[in-house]
Amino acid sequence: MRTFLQALSLLIFSILFIFANYRLPDWLPADVYLRLDPLLGLSAVLAGKEVISRALWSLIILGSTLVVGRFFCAYVCPMGATIDFLEFTSFRKKNRQGFKNEAGWRKVKSFLFILFLSSALAGLSLAYLMDPLPFLTRFYTFFLYPLFITVINLLLDLLRPLFDTLGWIGVAHLHYTQPVYYMTFITFLIFAAIIALSRFAPRFWCRYLCPLGALLSFISPLGLFKRRVSPECNECLKCQKACPMGAIQPDPKRTNLPECIQCRTCAEVCPKGAVSFPFLSSGKREAKLGGEYSGTAFSRRGFLYSFAGGLSVAFLAGRTPFTPLQGKHQLIRPPGAVLESEFLHTCIRCGECMKSCLTNTLQPCFWESGLSGLWTPKMDLRFAPCEQNCNVCGKVCPTQAIRSLSLEEKTHAKVGTAVLRKELCLVWAQDKLCLICDEICPYNAIVFRTVEGYRRPVVIASRCNGCGFCEQRCPIQGESAIVVNPNGEIRLKEGSYVQQAKKLQLEFKPDPGDDKYVLDQSGFKAGERKDSEKSGAPGGTKPPQKPKGFL
Amino acid sequence: MGGQNGQVSRRDFLKTAAAGLALSLGGKPGFLAAKEEHDLVVISGDPAAATKGALEAMGGISRFVAKGTRVVLKPNMSFSNPPEWGSTTHPLVVATVAQACIDAGAQRVVVLDYPLRPAELCLKRTGIQAACKPIKGVHVLALEDRKFFREVKVPQGKVLDRVEVFKEVLDSDVLINLPQAKTHSATGVSLGIKNLMGLIWDRYSFHSRYNINQALADLATVIKPQLTILDATRALVSGGPGGPGEVQKPNLVIAGIDPVAVDSYGVSVAPWYGQNFKGRQVEHLLVAHQRGLGKIDLEQLQVFKGKA
Repeated sequence: MRTFLQALSLLIFSILFIFANYRLPDWLPADVYLRLDPLLGLSAVLAGKEVISRALWSLIILGSTLVVGRFFCAYVCPMGATIDFLEFTSFRKKNRQGFKNEAGWRKVKSFLFILFLSSALAGLSLAYLMDPLPFLTRFYTFFLYPLFITVINLLLDLLRPLFDTLGWIGVAHLHYTQPVYYMTFITFLIFAAIIALSRFAPRFWCRYLCPLGALLSFISPLGLFKRRVSPECNECLKCQKACPMGAIQPDPKRTNLPECIQCRTCAEVCPKGAVSFPFLSSGKREAKLGGEYSGTAFSRRGFLYSFAGGLSVAFLAGRTPFTPLQGKHQLIRPPGAVLESEFLHTCIRCGECMKSCLTNTLQPCFWESGLSGLWTPKMDLRFAPCEQNCNVCGKVCPTQAIRSLSLEEKTHAKVGTAVLRKELCLVWAQDKLCLICDEICPYNAIVFRTVEGYRRPVVIASRCNGCGFCEQRCPIQGESAIVVNPNGEIRLKEGSYVQQAKKLQLEFKPDPGDDKYVLDQSGFKAGERKDSEKSGAPGGTKPPQKPKGFL
Repeated sequence: MGGQNGQVSRRDFLKTAAAGLALSLGGKPGFLAAKEEHDLVVISGDPAAATKGALEAMGGISRFVAKGTRVVLKPNMSFSNPPEWGSTTHPLVVATVAQACIDAGAQRVVVLDYPLRPAELCLKRTGIQAACKPIKGVHVLALEDRKFFREVKVPQGKVLDRVEVFKEVLDSDVLINLPQAKTHSATGVSLGIKNLMGLIWDRYSFHSRYNINQALADLATVIKPQLTILDATRALVSGGPGGPGEVQKPNLVIAGIDPVAVDSYGVSVAPWYGQNFKGRQVEHLLVAHQRGLGKIDLEQLQVFKGKA
């Protein structure tokens, strides 16, 4: 039963993960697991110093843990399910003792929890490092998903001749674009290390490290279901050995309640059927808690140390040039990303936005904005552009560090401005007939104008929303001759981007008449606009007589 | 002509058979023979009807598509824009031709392009996928991976030595080009010959390395569509090739075997960037004509004009 529910939860998690793409319907919260995570919510709210509506979903988990106990770890957590599965395949036959100083190690997760909260309080969001849900989502995004696509494509390649002979032409030409990410290897190494730790003790992560487990363990002893051992117990200690959390005391009748995840493995293995998890109504509760409840393994000193530790990590991490540079950062953030410092506070580095990104332009940062910016999404526009008919990154963001915007709003959420680098441009520097940036620009922000007698591409900044099609398609080798710079980006915590763009006199719905203006400039019969712009052509050189391509 | 109970009466049968025999004994019917002499067929009307009319006037699709052949249709579906923008071929033009190929007994019909925008969005937003969906045996593909291309030599190439072309095109029997009439900021206009660039892998070198007009003519020496049907029901007369720009409605479908002639006529149906041009004034068409790829002067062309 538990295995089934676990597998089901992992399946739902995976399916929602796959559904996180540009076709995601508005009603489906693909990020629901991350929304339900109370540690993420708490950390983001503390760091951002404001209530995040999507984080309120986590009250469901908090509330149900108060009622039932720490069931989340056994039945819901997809990371727990993954660990259980991998332990079953890899470490089943190994003799795993756990540690001598069990109780001491268990405190680690609580210290981490306090550390993450206090660093969040001091403005550095760190919980993402070890919270199981963003952790697993990252692993899925940066490792499993690209691997999955590779395998699918290999299979398709293998079967292609067969499909072709069968006349299944669609399938015979099926090919999924391979997603690639900068941080794949690091993400994988960290994940592998965590799994390898299970070599030492079952559910090593859940027992000793998981800060979300720590949070739930604080409140789980209040739950109404508790392990009861009847007098039939013959102290065979089978349950103690089987307990994945090591929550059964040397005296098998006693339970370490904060650590019990209600998985009921003990009840299954008990030869006497002496273990049960009855519902304890509030009346009987006080009496029965008595000898069984052993309090949270936590000391005042440990609390103070970890609290201070979190504050000082946050303090130190903030004392780098990265912090003052947040106001003039170099990164192109996704459209709809809130102000940079708030963005760094609230982004939980789950990687959902990067997974769902239609073009694969969203990439994880490594050190570009310091310790506070690890794994945050940036746009790598030389690699891929931002498609104007897609707004999925905001839809799937569980903390709304990227705001969920309509397509219209998203179009106006300018992420930067393209800058033409004349010394590299084939047209400016070499008089080639290149026009790719102009051809591909979805907003007609690049136009040809006559400059000193030659037709040259120029960027109209007020029409450029930084989508990066030009930067990506520029045919020169190496760095693009047209590069999107964060200059002019619009980042709003609230309110309408359309309004803001209007205020700034930006226009992302281009005027179709612009090419005619080019014709006027290039010496054709003048339209009305001839006088609207002074001709930049001085005497000497011969101005071209016709638009490109015409003789 | 059936009998009252739904059966064919003997008399009706004999009448029909005799008529058929007479027709076949008499050789090709006069109107068909006449039309085959035309270089071009220009039909005005809405996209579906004009396309149908153009196919009929060309002597029927079976002139080009025999039973059991593999057909590739090359519309322009490179941009994720709706048909009203005039940047992509009208879905009904594509669907009409696809249906005709199926009716003529084609073994498979593949509607193919290498889009400039994300493939899925192009298929959806151009409406071409939806329009072809009900037709059995027609497959609409927007492919973006190099494995679907194969290198071929360009023996008559002036600037191109070799070029990677869609395998599906190289392996098929018939290629029908279905371009959209629009402006293009490098080649002036983008019609049939320019549309062929959507069948090759490395199109960026056309802009960066080669003279695009020469390279297009080179390309036209290796990719030779049996039939070109130019969709000028809408013409994007500025802002091309991607739009948005000014869209005019010539309401014409232009069909022909000679790719230069079709394009040359296409140049004359709308003012591009507010100016009237002739085919000769379009550099890549002139180059193609000079390389012997087709006729360019409208005065020398036999044009059949009709209304659908």
